[in-house]
Amino acid sequence: MIHQYQNNGFNIVLDVDSGSIHLVDGLSYQLIADLDKDRTLSDDTLVGEYEEKYPESEIRESLSEIHSLEKAGQLFTEDIYKNAVIDFKARPTVVKALCLNVAHDCNLACKYCFADEGSYNGGPKGLMSYEVGKQALDFLVAHSGHRHNLEVDFFGGEPLMDWAVVRKLVAYGRSIEKEKDKHFRFTITTNGVLLNDEIMDFCNREMDNVVMSLDGRKEVHDHMRPFPSGKGSYDLIIPKFQKFAAQRKALGLQYYIRGTYTHYNLDFAQDVIHYADLGFDQLSMEPVVAPQSADYAIRPEDIPVLKEQYDILAKEMIRRQKEGRGFTFFHFMIDLTGGPCVYKRLSGCGSGTEYLGVTPWGDLYPCHQFVGNQKFLLGSVFDGIRRTDIVDEFKCCNVYSRKECSSCFARYYCSGGCAANSYNFHGRIDDVYEIGCELERKRVETAIMIKAALAKEN
Amino acid sequence: MKHIQTLSTRSLQESMKKGGCGECQTSCQSACKTSCTVGNQVCEQLKKN
Repeated sequence: MIHQYQNNGFNIVLDVDSGSIHLVDGLSYQLIADLDKDRTLSDDTLVGEYEEKYPESEIRESLSEIHSLEKAGQLFTEDIYKNAVIDFKARPTVVKALCLNVAHDCNLACKYCFADEGSYNGGPKGLMSYEVGKQALDFLVAHSGHRHNLEVDFFGGEPLMDWAVVRKLVAYGRSIEKEKDKHFRFTITTNGVLLNDEIMDFCNREMDNVVMSLDGRKEVHDHMRPFPSGKGSYDLIIPKFQKFAAQRKALGLQYYIRGTYTHYNLDFAQDVIHYADLGFDQLSMEPVVAPQSADYAIRPEDIPVLKEQYDILAKEMIRRQKEGRGFTFFHFMIDLTGGPCVYKRLSGCGSGTEYLGVTPWGDLYPCHQFVGNQKFLLGSVFDGIRRTDIVDEFKCCNVYSRKECSSCFARYYCSGGCAANSYNFHGRIDDVYEIGCELERKRVETAIMIKAALAKEN
Repeated sequence: MKHIQTLSTRSLQESMKKGGCGECQTSCQSACKTSCTVGNQVCEQLKKN
């Protein structure tokens, strides 16, 4: 499968099934498009078609390059992975990551919160006890097979509301690593309200990644992320996030400033640029996922505006990179040479099988997005997974189980999309969320364009 | 090549031969949490080498 597009002055040809990316001149762009439509076209026919616009020698030279890429398995390749991926998904799986919802409570009242300010579908509020968390870590170790690296994200609600337990759980995890031959990669996602020097120091020692929630410009952030009183949270958290990020940057540690954009800030590129202007350099900003009835939901008619915003952001990133003050943007990060294998790319996100969400009371769900939906309650960390039928359903979820993915060039980059988004919009986990797909395709295209632009520069 | 510049990429066909170890990060365990992105993740095997 071929995907061709033009962006920022580049003619880009993606040979989807091999992962090859070609930057081509205008003539080759047209020739590849013609050959993609009809592979029986001869060189002589194509020369005849274009000889009024281009010298024959140029056309034959371009065709020769196209044919050599085809021979090298870098152009006009086919999807040969289906059976291998289906077999891969059918293998016995291990649990390798937990999202530990240590707090079903929050000190902010963000308007778009999918966790309903910590109550997750109107459930009770509460904090995870050390005993439940310890059992969750034991459950993870016991179900992780030979997998060495185990990931645990402290999430919520706001996990710093249960900080004493987080500290103890990290200490417990570290205490069993050697004996169990495992390594925990702890991460935490926080709104920053309770962040202090002691917490920063601890996280710098123990957390592989820290995700700090910030929506961008003060007026944007304060509109969507107020305290329950209605007061904005921007002024309180910014100095703490700046200090924390600077420390982690100096130590070579990962962090993300992560935001959510909504219908109220369709010019979200300005919010990402605002992050960079505040001194942050590891950035992420995602579209809100909300029912169309929500006033802040992304609407189909917003999509052209949003796509333009990704272009604006990309051009600014390239400019700053060239000036030596670049920053990374999560959705534009594509590792072309060291990225994941094709199994990972096609076998889905791992929710319900390798990755599970845990409530403060130890209940297990397919991921954090399903928490609180009783239809998806899998079991608990105390008595294990009871609903193996639901796990089996998630096991069958992959790119090939979603018919829309078969004609989509982005399938090797998104792995078929989010099962929870699919469920929330279509009532089933193996469908697609169309607005999310449109934006993902644009992000992949733009990310590749940035690679092209920087490759040309070098 | 004069007309075509190919960016260096990991061959997906080749990755089928030795891939599938499962040591890589789960998709949402990063800065994601509401979408699904794998293209930006790093292969643990390649990271070791």
